[in-house]
Amino acid sequence: MNSLWDSRPIRFSTYAAGLLIGAVLWEYFGGKVNPSYGAPLSATAKRFIFLVSNGQLQDAVLGSLQLYFVGFISAVLAASLFGLLMSRLNYLRVGFENYIMLLYATPMIAMVPFIKSVLEIGFAAKFTVVFLFGFFPVLYNTLEGARSVKPEMVEVAKSFRSGEFALWRDLLIPHTVPFILTGIRQGAGRALVGVVAAEFLISSSGLGGLIQDQQGKYSMSGVFASITVLTAMGLLLMWIGRVLENRMAAWRGLNR
Amino acid sequence: MSVDTEADAAASGQGVKPARIAISGAGKRYGDLQVFQDINLEFNEREIVTVVGPSGCGKTTLLRCIDGLMPVSDGEVRIEGDLMTQPREGVAMVFQHFGLFPWKTVTQNVGYGLKLAGVSRAEIDEKVPYFVKLVGLEGFESVYPYQLSGGMQQRCGLARALAMEPSVLLMDEPFAAVDAQTREILQFELLRIWEMRPMTMVFVTHSIEEAVLMGDRVVVLKGRPSSVFETIDVDLPAPRDRSTLAHPRFAELREHVWATLMDEVRAAEFDVR
Repeated sequence: MNSLWDSRPIRFSTYAAGLLIGAVLWEYFGGKVNPSYGAPLSATAKRFIFLVSNGQLQDAVLGSLQLYFVGFISAVLAASLFGLLMSRLNYLRVGFENYIMLLYATPMIAMVPFIKSVLEIGFAAKFTVVFLFGFFPVLYNTLEGARSVKPEMVEVAKSFRSGEFALWRDLLIPHTVPFILTGIRQGAGRALVGVVAAEFLISSSGLGGLIQDQQGKYSMSGVFASITVLTAMGLLLMWIGRVLENRMAAWRGLNR
Repeated sequence: MSVDTEADAAASGQGVKPARIAISGAGKRYGDLQVFQDINLEFNEREIVTVVGPSGCGKTTLLRCIDGLMPVSDGEVRIEGDLMTQPREGVAMVFQHFGLFPWKTVTQNVGYGLKLAGVSRAEIDEKVPYFVKLVGLEGFESVYPYQLSGGMQQRCGLARALAMEPSVLLMDEPFAAVDAQTREILQFELLRIWEMRPMTMVFVTHSIEEAVLMGDRVVVLKGRPSSVFETIDVDLPAPRDRSTLAHPRFAELREHVWATLMDEVRAAEFDVR
């Protein structure tokens, strides 16, 4: 059963056929529908080139990327530091645990109107949305990781007279980094949702703004071109996350 | 067994050095559970003392109290006169679970304690290869623990402790997690290393044979809560090697310890707790 798929040419051609069928279907049905509901692949590609040639797309990508990285990197740093601190300070952990579970379970998009009314329209509000979308997955995984540090290993460190700083450096952080990376992988996608949500709901800008702009001009091909760019960003982020995780795999998993 | 307090030792003349480790009236309680009680022991400068007893008798707990990882509930533990309330310089421990850092190479694991002690990079780079070689891990310097067998992981744990050049080496069932053949090899290698650089070694073990083979004295813990039932001087010829195992005196001592522990072992077997 599996042997068929061990063959490289067969796998590759099936893979290519799948993509080709998708493209043909998109082209065919996209061309059949009312242009205000959809657009074929060729029109989307043409619109993509147009949006690049007038610079709109690049501006949108840069705006979204800036919001994404400022918001998500801050979230990763804050969440991992806070998670590590919580694992070492019991009163912090016990005091905050419930809030973290509550906020992790809350769909962050529900918070957007509240954030908008407090921080008003601007970068601060959008930053906060992206930050919150990315923060909790990283925090949750950091806590899981830091909590799983074996007490025996803490004892080894104590026996060799490790101070708190060295304990973080030699044990807590190296142990928790793979968990933080898992959190980053989970949070990366969410933060991208946060970017689009902020650009839709706080004030129009970036790729989210471009989608709204193109929709306003009744250009479904422009909407699809923007969505495709977001998809590419999502794929790229997932790929970066996987590469980072694999780099840590040398001693992970195989270890007792 | 003679139990000298420091005052006695001082009074008996300047020729007698105080014991390196002095445990007096030591007891340990977890809530209502008394693990051991009224333990009085002294360990001298160049001796290997093995502590043997059935599972759950608190021998590992006692070792942790000696290291200062946990406090005793009653009495006191002193090393070179210092009250042990936290781990102290000059005392190193080897763990049953090896306790290696999986993300550190052999070299980095062996250098761990030295780095914590603030030893310079240059000195660490000079010392570590010596101890890596001493325990027979040459060629495995840049390997991670998961790439090593259990026996080799424990060699690494041993090198990490020896690199501290401790005056007290605490061994917590160090060979319990390795296979029988490897265990035997490691026992003799440890004895060889100890001959080169003798120190006070407290060796906790579950194995009666190991206790008799390794120890200058064997401390037998027994009872619930446990206390020292007997301390046996092991008058086997030095150096100990494979031929020691065939020595008639070895068999005698082993049978003696076994008989001492037998009631306890039998009781433990039927213990439904």
